[in-house]
Amino acid sequence: MIETPGKTGKEHKSNYMKKINLLILLFVTNLLLAQENATVSGYIKDAKNGESLIGVTVYKKHSQQGTSTNPYGFYSLTLSKGTDTLMFSFIGYKTIQKAVNLTTNQTINIELEEEGKDLDEVVISSEKADVNVKSMEMGTSKLDIKQINKIPALLGEVDIVRAIQLLPGVTTVGEGASGFNVRGGNIDQNLILLDEAPVYNSSHLFGFFSVFNPDAVKDVKLIKGGIPAQYGGRVSSILDIRMKEGNSKQLSVNGGLGTIFSRLSIEAPIIKDKMSFIIAGRRSYIDALVKPFVKSSSPIKKSKFYFYDLTAKLNYRINDKNTVFLSSYFGKDVFGATVFSFNWGNATGTLRWNHVFNSKLFMNVSAFYSNYNYLLDFKTNTSSDQSFKWTSNIVNYSIKPDFTYYLNTKNTIRFGLQSMLYDFTPYDTDIKFSSGITTNLKSEHRYGLENAIYVSNEQKLLPRLTAEYGVRLSLYSFMGSGTAYYFRDTTSNTSLPYDHEKKYNQGDIIKTYVTPEPRFALNYVINSKSSVKASYNRMAQYLQLISNTAASTPLDVYTLATNNLKPLVADQGSVGYFRNFKDNMFETSVEVYYKYMQHQLDYIDNANLFINEKVESDLIQGLGRAYGAEFYVKKTKGKLQGWISYTLSKTERLVRGISNDKWFYSRYDRTHCLNLSLNYDITKRWNVSANFVFLSGTPATFPNTKIQVQNYNIPYNTDGIRNNYRVTPYHRLDVGATYAFKKNEKRRFKQFLVISVYNVYNRRNAFSIYFRTKDGVPNQTEAVRYSVIGSFVPALTYNFNF
Amino acid sequence: MKSIVKIVLLASFALVFASCEDVVQIKLDEGSGLYVIDAFINSSRTDQVVKITNNSSYFSNSQPSGISGASVILTDLTENRQFVFNYTSNGNYVYTLAANDTIAKINHNYSLSVVIDGVPYTSSTTQKRSASIDSIGVELNDNNFFGGGSSSDTTYLCTLYAKDKADAQTDYYWVKTFRNDTLFSAPEDLNVNIDGTGGAITNPPSDSLDFTPPSTLLGFRKYKRHDRCKVEVHSIMFDTYNFLTQAQVQINNGGLFATTPENVKTNLVTPSGKTKAVGWFSVASVATKSIQVR
Repeated sequence: MIETPGKTGKEHKSNYMKKINLLILLFVTNLLLAQENATVSGYIKDAKNGESLIGVTVYKKHSQQGTSTNPYGFYSLTLSKGTDTLMFSFIGYKTIQKAVNLTTNQTINIELEEEGKDLDEVVISSEKADVNVKSMEMGTSKLDIKQINKIPALLGEVDIVRAIQLLPGVTTVGEGASGFNVRGGNIDQNLILLDEAPVYNSSHLFGFFSVFNPDAVKDVKLIKGGIPAQYGGRVSSILDIRMKEGNSKQLSVNGGLGTIFSRLSIEAPIIKDKMSFIIAGRRSYIDALVKPFVKSSSPIKKSKFYFYDLTAKLNYRINDKNTVFLSSYFGKDVFGATVFSFNWGNATGTLRWNHVFNSKLFMNVSAFYSNYNYLLDFKTNTSSDQSFKWTSNIVNYSIKPDFTYYLNTKNTIRFGLQSMLYDFTPYDTDIKFSSGITTNLKSEHRYGLENAIYVSNEQKLLPRLTAEYGVRLSLYSFMGSGTAYYFRDTTSNTSLPYDHEKKYNQGDIIKTYVTPEPRFALNYVINSKSSVKASYNRMAQYLQLISNTAASTPLDVYTLATNNLKPLVADQGSVGYFRNFKDNMFETSVEVYYKYMQHQLDYIDNANLFINEKVESDLIQGLGRAYGAEFYVKKTKGKLQGWISYTLSKTERLVRGISNDKWFYSRYDRTHCLNLSLNYDITKRWNVSANFVFLSGTPATFPNTKIQVQNYNIPYNTDGIRNNYRVTPYHRLDVGATYAFKKNEKRRFKQFLVISVYNVYNRRNAFSIYFRTKDGVPNQTEAVRYSVIGSFVPALTYNFNF
Repeated sequence: MKSIVKIVLLASFALVFASCEDVVQIKLDEGSGLYVIDAFINSSRTDQVVKITNNSSYFSNSQPSGISGASVILTDLTENRQFVFNYTSNGNYVYTLAANDTIAKINHNYSLSVVIDGVPYTSSTTQKRSASIDSIGVELNDNNFFGGGSSSDTTYLCTLYAKDKADAQTDYYWVKTFRNDTLFSAPEDLNVNIDGTGGAITNPPSDSLDFTPPSTLLGFRKYKRHDRCKVEVHSIMFDTYNFLTQAQVQINNGGLFATTPENVKTNLVTPSGKTKAVGWFSVASVATKSIQVR
C-alpha cells in the first residue's frame, strides 16, 4: 500500500487497525469454517480374524477427499458437515460403502471381508486401486504376505528378504550373502524393523533364509526414496515389517513341513475382539534327518548345525482409545564340530501403546530392546584342553513417541522424537592355555546415544498437488565410559599411527554430531491414471558394519561414529512417473535417482578388523555415489498376476589411497538388473508361479601377474586398480506350483502342497572368481569360479491351516 | 586371526551347503614387469638363499624366470660384517656357511643391497629372538572334523607345546611344519602368530605364555606311524608378520568370505623411475624340535 502524504498519524493508526481487524475477521471466518467440518475416525480390521488392516483407503464417494489407515489400522478424515457416502476399500477385500450423517465428530470402526476365493465369482467393487498414483509414496514397495507366499522359493521356504530382492533397485552380491543392497547402498544401510525394533542380522544359515517367520508377518514395506521424517538412522532404505496381531475371533493354526525346516504358529483370542496373541516357531532339522544315515565315524555325527526362531505377540485393545502391543523375537543359528562351535542370534522386544487423544490426534509410543550376539569357541581335542572363546554383542534400547495430527482435509502433521542408546561389546575373549592358565581379554563397551526430533506435514497445496515436507534433526553423542583413541595422519592406505588416548567416565560425552535431515516430497496428479512425483531426502547414520569380505559374515561387528569416524550422510533425489492402465489392472512406474554418500567405511590394505581395540586406525572413510533408473510394471488383477522390473544403475566409490585415488565400482554394482515374478491360477486348486532373474556380474579385482615368495604364488596387480573386472552375469529361473487339497466344506482345515524347483536350468552362477595355486603343483596357478548353488534345487513343502 | 575366522566360517558353511568350484579360463591383461626379491634369512646352519626372479603372467605354468648377474650383499650393521651371496642357478644367490658360523644374530641390525643392471635396491631389518619349544605332542586322530577321512589307516595329529619369551615385548612367530623333512607348503599351511596366540590378538595379554590353538594344531596335518614331525618356530619382525598375514589372505582368498584382493606390501626400496622391486627381506632366529610318531 502506498502512503499518500497529508494523512495524520491517527489516520495511519486506523489504517493499521483496519488491517488487523481484517486479519481477525479472516481468522474467525476460518475457525467458523472449521466448525463446518467434522471428523470421522476409527480402526479398520479384517472381518475374519480381527487383524488391523494397513493402507486401507477411506474416501468420500466421487471426490478427491480421502486418507488411508496407518500401520495400526487407524484413520481420521475431516469432511464438511452433511450427509455423505464413505468408501472403505482395500485390495483383495470387498469395498464397503457407508452413508454417514456428519454433524459431530464420529468414530466408525469397520471390518472388511475378503473377496471370495471362487474365481468365477464376479466381484463388483468400485475399488480405489490407484493408491500408487495418488499417494505421496515413491521408491516404496509394499508386499502383501499372500503375494510373497506365491513366489517360488529356495527349498520351498517362503522368505521375505529373498522376495524383496526381486524388487527394482534391490540387489544382492549373491546367494548365501546376508542382507540386500538398495540403490547402491551397503547392507548395513538398511534399517530392518520388526515391529519397530531394529534387527542387526537378518539371516539364518549365513544368508540363505531370513529371520522373519512368514507365518507371523502381516505387512512388508520397503522404502528406498522419499523417506519420511519419522524414519532415520540408516541412509539407504527402511524395511518395515509388521507382525500379525493374532486372530482375535477364533483359534487359528498354521503349519508346514518343509525340506529344511518345519513351522508352526498358533493364534487365538484371549478375550474375543479385545485381546489376542500369536506365537510362531521354526526349527531346521537337516541335522536330525541326516544323522541316522551317516557312519559313526563321519564328522557329521559329531557336528551340529541348526537354527530356530520364535516370534510372539500379544495385543490388548483396552478400549476405543487405547491399545497395547507386546511383541518379541528370539532366534539362533548353531554350528559346531568337535573342535569348534559357533552360534549367533538376535533377540528383540517391543512394547507399544496406541492412544487416540481425539478423532484428530493419534499417538503411538514404542519402547524396544534389541540384542544381537555371537559366540565362537575353538578348542583342541586333547586332554590338555587349550581353548579360545570369543563373544561379541550389540544391545540397543529405544523409546519413540510418534504423533499424527489430522489437522484438516488439507494438512496431516506428523511429529515425534526418538531416543536410542547403543551398547556394543566388540569382543570378549577367554583363552585357556595348556598349562591351565586362563586369560580374559575384553574390549570396553562402546556407548552411543542417538536422539532425534522430527516434524513433517503432508499438505494438499492445490487439488492436484500435494507436498510432504519435514525435517528430522538427529543428535548423536559418542559416550563414555570408555577410551577415545587419537591417531596421527600418515601415508594413505596404511594404519594410522597411535598418538594418545583419553579415558572418559560414564555419561561423559566424547564427541557429538548434529545432522539436520530435510525431507521433501511432491506429488502432482496429472489425471486419475497418472502422476509425477519428486523427492529429496538427507539421511544420517551413526553406526556402520565393519566388513571387508564379499559376503558379510555373522562375525562382523558394527562400529559407532566416534571421535575418529564421522557419521555416514547420504543425500538422495529422485523423480518418478506413475501411470496405471486398464482400470488399474496394470501399475507402472519409472523412477530415476541419484544418491551421494559421505564418510562411507572402507579399509586399508591388510586391515586388522578382529579383536583390535584400535580398529579405527585401519578404517578409512570415502565417498560414494549411485544413480540409476528403475522401470516397473505390475499386474494386480486377474488369473495372471505378477511384476517385471528392470533397473539400470551404477554405484561407485572414491577412497583416498585406494585404486590410485580414482572412482571405482563398488562390490555390489550391477549395471543391469531384470526381475520377473509371475503367478497364475490355473484352477481353483492349482496355482503355478515362476521367477526369472538376470543380473550383471559383480565387479571383481583380478591380478595380472603373480610373484613368487617363499614358494608361494601371490597374485599381484601391477596397475593397482580395484574392481577392474566383472564376473559372469547371474541368471536363474525358478518355478513352483501349489496344490490346494479338496476341503471338507464343514471344516476349516485346509491343506496345501508346494512343489518348487530353484535354478531350473541348473546354472552355476559365479559368486566370485578367485585365484589359487593348483593343489600339489607348486608352480601352477588357476582361476576358480566359486558357485554357492551348483545345481537345481527341488523341494516339497506341505502346509496346513485351520 | 583372519584365517581362523575363515576356517570356522567355511567349515560351518560346508556343513549345510555343497557349494561348488570349477576351474575356468579367463583372459587377463598383461601386467608390467617387476623384480621379485625373496630374501628370508634365518639363524639355522644351512645355506642361506636370496632368490631374485621376474613376476610372471598369472597363468604361466613354468618356474618364474631367475635373474642372474645381480650383486647381492647382506650386511650385519651391528658387527659391520658383509656376506656376499653368489649366484648358482634359477635366480638363486647362496651364501654357504662355514662350520660353526651363523649369519643371524639376536638384536643385530641388517641391511640388504641388491644391484640389478646397475640399479640399487635396498632394505633393512632386525633379527629377533625366538620362542622356546617345550615339546611336540602326538595324539591319535579320532576322525575329528578337520582330520576326518575315509582311510582306514590309523593317523595321528601333532600338537605343538611352545612357550613365548617372557618379557614385556610382543613377539611374532612363523611356525613351519615338516613331515619327514618335507615342508608343508600349501597355502593353508602358512601359520603366523602373535605371542603364540594364533595371531588372534593385536594387543596380547598372553606374553610369556604357552602357544594356543589354532596355531598349535599345525594345520591339522596327519602323520602315520614312524613319521617324523618337525616344527620350526621363526621369530620375525612385526613388519614381516604383517607381510606374511597379508600374503596368507591373498593366497587363500576364495569363497563366500573372500576379501577384496590387494597387493602385498614390500620392504624393498626402489629408486624412483626404475623397475619396481617387490618381495620381502627378513632375518629370523629359529627354534626347532622334532618327534617320531610311535
